[in-house]
Amino acid sequence: MADRRRINGPPGSTIPPVFEDDAGQPEIMNGKGRDRAPNTIRKMFLKTGVTPSASGSAYLEFEDSGKSGVSGLKLSCTVHGPRSLPRSSPFSPHIVLSAHIKYAPFATKQRRGYLRDPSERDLGTHLETALRGAIIADRWPKSGVDIIISIIEGDQDRETSKSQGDETWDMMNALSGCITVASAALADAGIDCVDTVAGGVAALVQDAGEDSTPRIVVDPIPSDHEKVLGACCIAYLPTRDEVTNLWFKGDLPASDAGLYTQLVENGMQASRNANRVLVECLGEATS
Amino acid sequence: MTTSNPTLAIPGQLLGSTSKYQPGPGTHIHNHNVHASLMGTVHIAQPAKAPGPVKRLTKITPAPAPAELPTISVAVPTRSAGPDHASQKKREVLPEVGNVVLCRVIRITPRQAVVAILVCGDTVLDAEWQGLIRVQDVRATEKDRVKIYESFRPGDIVRAEVISLGDQANYYLSTARNELGVILATSEAGNAMHPVSWKEYRDSETGLTELRKVAKPY
Repeated sequence: MADRRRINGPPGSTIPPVFEDDAGQPEIMNGKGRDRAPNTIRKMFLKTGVTPSASGSAYLEFEDSGKSGVSGLKLSCTVHGPRSLPRSSPFSPHIVLSAHIKYAPFATKQRRGYLRDPSERDLGTHLETALRGAIIADRWPKSGVDIIISIIEGDQDRETSKSQGDETWDMMNALSGCITVASAALADAGIDCVDTVAGGVAALVQDAGEDSTPRIVVDPIPSDHEKVLGACCIAYLPTRDEVTNLWFKGDLPASDAGLYTQLVENGMQASRNANRVLVECLGEATS
Repeated sequence: MTTSNPTLAIPGQLLGSTSKYQPGPGTHIHNHNVHASLMGTVHIAQPAKAPGPVKRLTKITPAPAPAELPTISVAVPTRSAGPDHASQKKREVLPEVGNVVLCRVIRITPRQAVVAILVCGDTVLDAEWQGLIRVQDVRATEKDRVKIYESFRPGDIVRAEVISLGDQANYYLSTARNELGVILATSEAGNAMHPVSWKEYRDSETGLTELRKVAKPY
């Protein structure tokens, strides 16, 4: 029976469009490799106060790399609070932090769902750990603060992520961006923090070639390299020289024992560089 | 050590040493140094003048208080009433013990009055904090003979003082001073009322009086 209550589409079936692969595919697969020095991070754009209705907000964008089809990470963060906890929650003498990270459905090559999946919850937990070390929690009893980050564009090279499944390394870059932008938004919201915390990623990569040795680079783009052996994401407080969160993933060669600490050191250096941008952005926001 | 005082601060910025400054709001201490906790402008408040030299040698005076150091603080501009302020940033304030707040009575029971805290100090609050005025905190005298129905009614605006952080849901408030109590009340007929004594409001139109715990207007 025909459905007369609704406005219906065409009665027959439709064929979904199938898009041709990019013509420049061989070029991307060969890749030019990394065009920055091993200790240089990508340029960032950071601005606070972009969402007037929230207590604090910030927007972060990484620069595009030169290749077609690869554009930088774009994050938007809003902070709501300090606000009263719901009646049912128990008394808390310090502030209750909740961090939510969500990829927009259009953010990555593989379309994401509308509900948070376990990887996004994992990012949220890491972010909460990173920020908990920076917030002075007992100045705000019985309150809660909500940090909501929306990843508008993920950090992925379209072709590579489909073929190599390198999503984890992109998540590390996303986490370090989330830490930096959340720190800016918290300062914008007027929540007492011990220091500005910034995130940095360092990775042990192996480039194509017979005798290339693994080297350590910061702020890696996974498609630049043949293989990423291991990476770590650090949340670092520069004034206090403290690490609030360390996320390490990968398979390091067992021969070199100092490689782990070397990676962490480089990650801290990347954090310091990101913190410089953060400090400058907050300085502009204050004046 | 900074030789010149910075005027703008971001969290974590070094402001001075604890031997030179006392930490005020918006700062914290780390390793004998005062660091900023907020993003804002730095203010230095000079202390009150130290007392002069002791005249009597035999008089015992307390040791000089550490309040002789200037207080350094970081302030974020709060939401002000005037629309012509360039930076209309709102900053949330938490009711603290000792603050005088304005609240609206939501419901009354024979033992307490439940209120919603609206304004803390000078800042209109964004969050909804709930408060409780217990029957023993309504007045300073004759606490056992207080009747909540004769002190507050739902809908009244009350000026009260925070006496405790309370439990998970409520702050505890008190109106046990002359200048605390109901400042705005509506009569049962629906008209505005004006105060006539410490316990009565009179309806301006009908002339009937109703019992409230009235705040001293001046």
